[in-house]
Amino acid sequence: MSTAAAGAVGRLAGRLAEIVGERNVLADPAELSTYECDGLTGYRVRPALVVLPATTEEVAAVVQAARAAGAPIVPRGAGTGLSGGALPVEGSVVVALSRMKRILEVDLENGWMRVEPGVINLDVSKAIGGRGFYYAPDPSSQSVCTIGGNVAENSGGAHCLKYGFTVHHVRGARVVLADGSVVDLGGPVLDAPGYDLLGVVVGSEGLLGIVTEVVLRILRRPEATRTFFATFPSTDEAGAAVSAIIASGIVPAAIEMMDRLAIAAAKAATGLDWPDVGAALLMDADGPASEVELTSENAIELARKAGAIEIRRPRDEAERQLMWKGRKSAFAAVGRISPNYFVQDGVIPRSEIARVLREIDDLAAKAGLRVANVFHAGDGNLHPLVLYDEAIPGQEKAAEELGGDILRLCVRYGGSITGEHGVGSDKAPYMAVMFSPDDLETMGLVRCAFDPELALNPGKVFPTPRLCGDRPGPFRPHPEEAAGKIWRE
Amino acid sequence: MSTSPYRAPGPDDAVLGKMPGAVAEPASIEEAAAVVGETSRDGKSLLFVGGGTDLEVGGVPESLGVLLSTRRLDRVVEHAPSDQIAVVEAGVSLASLAKVLASHGQRLALDPPLPERATVGGVIAANAFGPRRARYGTARDLLIGVTLVRADGRLARGGGKVVKNVAGFDMPRLMAGSLGTLGLVATATFRLHPLPEASATLSAAGLAPGTLRALLGRIRDAQLEPDSVVAFRAGEGRFDLAVRFEGFRPSVAAQRDRLARLCAESSLGVEALDEAAARAVWARHDAARRAGTVRVKVAALPSALESVERGAFAPLSDALGDGASVWYPTLGLGFAGGSLRDPASVAAAVAALGAARRTLTEGGGSLVLLAAPEAVRAAVDPWGGTPSALGLMRAVKLRLDPGRRLAPGRFVGGI
Repeated sequence: MSTAAAGAVGRLAGRLAEIVGERNVLADPAELSTYECDGLTGYRVRPALVVLPATTEEVAAVVQAARAAGAPIVPRGAGTGLSGGALPVEGSVVVALSRMKRILEVDLENGWMRVEPGVINLDVSKAIGGRGFYYAPDPSSQSVCTIGGNVAENSGGAHCLKYGFTVHHVRGARVVLADGSVVDLGGPVLDAPGYDLLGVVVGSEGLLGIVTEVVLRILRRPEATRTFFATFPSTDEAGAAVSAIIASGIVPAAIEMMDRLAIAAAKAATGLDWPDVGAALLMDADGPASEVELTSENAIELARKAGAIEIRRPRDEAERQLMWKGRKSAFAAVGRISPNYFVQDGVIPRSEIARVLREIDDLAAKAGLRVANVFHAGDGNLHPLVLYDEAIPGQEKAAEELGGDILRLCVRYGGSITGEHGVGSDKAPYMAVMFSPDDLETMGLVRCAFDPELALNPGKVFPTPRLCGDRPGPFRPHPEEAAGKIWRE
Repeated sequence: MSTSPYRAPGPDDAVLGKMPGAVAEPASIEEAAAVVGETSRDGKSLLFVGGGTDLEVGGVPESLGVLLSTRRLDRVVEHAPSDQIAVVEAGVSLASLAKVLASHGQRLALDPPLPERATVGGVIAANAFGPRRARYGTARDLLIGVTLVRADGRLARGGGKVVKNVAGFDMPRLMAGSLGTLGLVATATFRLHPLPEASATLSAAGLAPGTLRALLGRIRDAQLEPDSVVAFRAGEGRFDLAVRFEGFRPSVAAQRDRLARLCAESSLGVEALDEAAARAVWARHDAARRAGTVRVKVAALPSALESVERGAFAPLSDALGDGASVWYPTLGLGFAGGSLRDPASVAAAVAALGAARRTLTEGGGSLVLLAAPEAVRAAVDPWGGTPSALGLMRAVKLRLDPGRRLAPGRFVGGI
């Protein structure tokens, strides 16, 4: 860093300290290193500063100060994202929302609560669980990830097959925009007149604003949950079972698939006595007891017909939790069978699961690598884990290329390059595989409306930065309004 | 070789009293894009129209160069039953789409009134909904992909063909409810649901708002999962409740019986309806939604029913004749409508609308005018107050439609 640049950073740090207090501005290289990356640890960039505001007003003032200093702004939640969405850029100010973790309001009768972005996902359900309510989106990282990050990424989870994603469970948000102004989008009451900007902000990966309050939709817990675990000779039969279950009209709360390698990894990590088989399904049915008894038994019957080897039903809640622990630990467990791995997040039409998995196998064989598959089968959201050893020259690069080939394969089958992890910096280059230049330009126009100078979270989502050009002329009011013939309240 | 998509306008083409300069009825997405591109070059304003069921929503268009009807964009492009998605052109009516989907035991869970006329494009533009919103949400929640014709005539896609997809901004959501002011939704990709094996409707008559709320609380505590919950206003402070369960036969029967017991425990009269009576109840809903020449949508917290009744439903019912009101108790949304008794009652209607809007706005809600004669329109803004994000909404509009040619003046804040 040049002396002049260091001076500018020092002045900005001073200004930020006036806003949030000195202890909430981090400038020390050792402290900054924590913020060099998120859950995607392969890319690292040290930000110029990290600031930890505690209120909407502080966030707004921080944004204004950073903009005045010409520093790009990178919002950050818990940093658990897997797509490099919170990756800093050179000279940036990371705005970390971890101090904003209050639950502000709970309204059970009307089914909503207002929380700050730093509240941990699971803590939302914990706060209302005693009264029989919960917050539905359940990303696997839910014990550490925060609501603000969930909003930025439109996080899913195993149970979004039935319940939808974060966007279906957010009713309103207070947002600090790129110019430091504050707007409220939506709220506890449904259908506020106007464009659904809230729906655009959710999943915008920190490019459109910084969310400082969120109104969440909360649900009554379902009366009953039935779970079963089914093993299959291969992913072909397991895929056929998933298709048959969905085609029968059953909407499972979750239906997850693991292939041989993923099962082996989960066993190694948890000590579960799962057999060595080609594939396994884990399914939850939830809802009224009268319904789940029926749908669960029907689904088991369909799984058998599709070629299931063995069906296991948990004897009690503890055993059920253990089964889910096996599934949820599968990602990290892969670390036990491979020194390194990349996680992918492609989506395919659910009916193509078996074919796509075989194509992935072929691609892996050609690349001389192994791929473990553990994924949300009900909605076709694959999580291929590409295993490699960075100590072997060329293997990391080969793994990266294989990951890219898998994403292209998903798009070729009519799917998506990301189902829940977000595009971030990791998959930005693949956006052009999925979308045409006009598609991307149209999204870019929306970004320009929110942030004409592209100061918020640069380098994410869009493959090539595109300048916004001139701002369109000022809004021309209705001539009758201008003439005073009509008015607005 | 296709013929020109243009035809001369007729009296039926007027929108809120305004005649278009020309009418275009493109037969393909490409032709639609060409029409929009031409208006862009000529600087003409445009209005998109589907079945015309919600054309009275929003302000009078400031200008109306070309009316683009989606009537001939009527293809179901793709139905993938095993993936539970369908790709549909904008001009397909809900009823004709339902027929195609039903052949594979599926449906699009959107049920606004007038399905024979309402088109998917119009339903998206108006974010129209019916009783099933209680379980399935609106077009916003079921729309997973769009092909847009932009204001400059270029085609752009947003979203995709898979339900789970977070690649890029959610353009489908932005289009839902935007009343054709940001672009033409030329094709829509929807998430579908299985047609239920069985359905049961129960009705309880004459409930006071407090009783209704208490019963809803018990339904929730009993962890029942109804597909539709609608309350019909049946006189001052009285509501007839209709609850529908759908799904597999044993589960529908069990939930129906459970609700009947809950009502009995609270000494509430409840009736499990036979098929004909159930059909009549849901037809009553559709009729109530279209009642009168002055119609509004109201939004409040579900717990605010007493104040909605006192501050909105009652005064509107007093001011208008032949009225009807419905309330969705799990959503906090409702519709009220009626007709002017005589030309002299305009002032009373305007006063009632103003009072209702104040009540709702004070509670954090809103009142939107869905239909009204010119005399009422002249005095009541269709959308109400200024949203906190109006500046941002205008910025989005001007980026996507810099010439402000798409339905100018129709949307919130004069957008």
